[in-house]
Amino acid sequence: MKALLWTVAAVLTAAVLVTSVPAIAHHASGPFYDPDKSVEANGTVTKFVFRNPHSFLYVDAPNAEGVMTAWEIEMGASVSLSRRGWTPETIKAGDQIKVVGQPSRAPGTYGMCCAELTKPDGSPLRP
Amino acid sequence: MSLTSNRTRNLLDRCLRPGVCAILLAAIGGDLAPPAFAQAGADESAIPALVGVWDGGGRARRVNGPNMPWVPGENFPVLNERALAFQGVFDEAIAPKYDCVPSASPALQYDPYMMQVTQWPDRVLFRYEKDDQMRTVWLDGREPPLNEFTVQGFSVGRYEGGSLLVETTHFVFDITGFDDYNGIPSSQQKRVTERYWREGDELRMTLTLEDPMFLREPAAYTTRWLPGPDGYQLQGYDCDAEEAGHPRKFLVPKYH
Repeated sequence: MKALLWTVAAVLTAAVLVTSVPAIAHHASGPFYDPDKSVEANGTVTKFVFRNPHSFLYVDAPNAEGVMTAWEIEMGASVSLSRRGWTPETIKAGDQIKVVGQPSRAPGTYGMCCAELTKPDGSPLRP
Repeated sequence: MSLTSNRTRNLLDRCLRPGVCAILLAAIGGDLAPPAFAQAGADESAIPALVGVWDGGGRARRVNGPNMPWVPGENFPVLNERALAFQGVFDEAIAPKYDCVPSASPALQYDPYMMQVTQWPDRVLFRYEKDDQMRTVWLDGREPPLNEFTVQGFSVGRYEGGSLLVETTHFVFDITGFDDYNGIPSSQQKRVTERYWREGDELRMTLTLEDPMFLREPAAYTTRWLPGPDGYQLQGYDCDAEEAGHPRKFLVPKYH
């Protein structure tokens, strides 16, 4: 049983490494985003820019006070995303989505990186 | 089988004899050609089979970052005072990559993308999916041009003992020419030496970096690529300058 638990833990750790590390291979995320904080946006996609060296997802979502906030979520290079089956149509304007990630550092900006994306049915969208 | 296929097969049969018609095969298509050489006196058994599309992504190795492939306490180079001074004033916003200036050695080889290798008689071509870059390694004994300095430098090489040895010089000064992550520049005295060899299905490389302007001693890393997916064609990168610079707005400015 103990061995099984260790195996499960190792597989989960490997899965986290594989899915989270390549998010931004173009540059370090640290100078731009705060890894010690987490923010969540639950709203409507307004644009998905599928490009190199990074793609960007734009989401309008209400903040805690109900004020609409325009989030800019940095994602991986289109050349890398496409190898995992993504296309410019994977996310479309008007889609509902929940995004949880690290917030941008510059005051007054609403950037996010290293995000987990979830569709309204609860299924993950893995970049 | 078509006439063309028959001709190709006959040509291939003839070319299985040592040293025959490598140039003809190269003309048909670099990927078909067995490694041939213009390197004087090179033994064909010394030539590794490097042709193919190679995957340098996350399934082959840990993805690059501030501590990879240069690991503090292991192979991270010892910086001189000049390097430390540059690093101290470095501002992430000025990194050329945010304006689509391509990645260069020794970072380019470790970027987590596909790479295609083609062996021709007088050269080896390294094509990188990252930044649409192509490096030519000349095997014909030519010398680097005296006063021509470029982002990728000038590469010459030779086969030796089952490896391809590459030496690259004549780089331009690059404010992030060390690794793209640590704010360490490289100078026009940068020298990058690469040794490529095969281990089973894998492509391996040891890269050694020298730059007396910034490093107290040479530093090296070893890495690998796995075979790319069957039939994979490298994609165009077409770096978008607007998107490349997009994250700058999220930085807390170091200078005004």
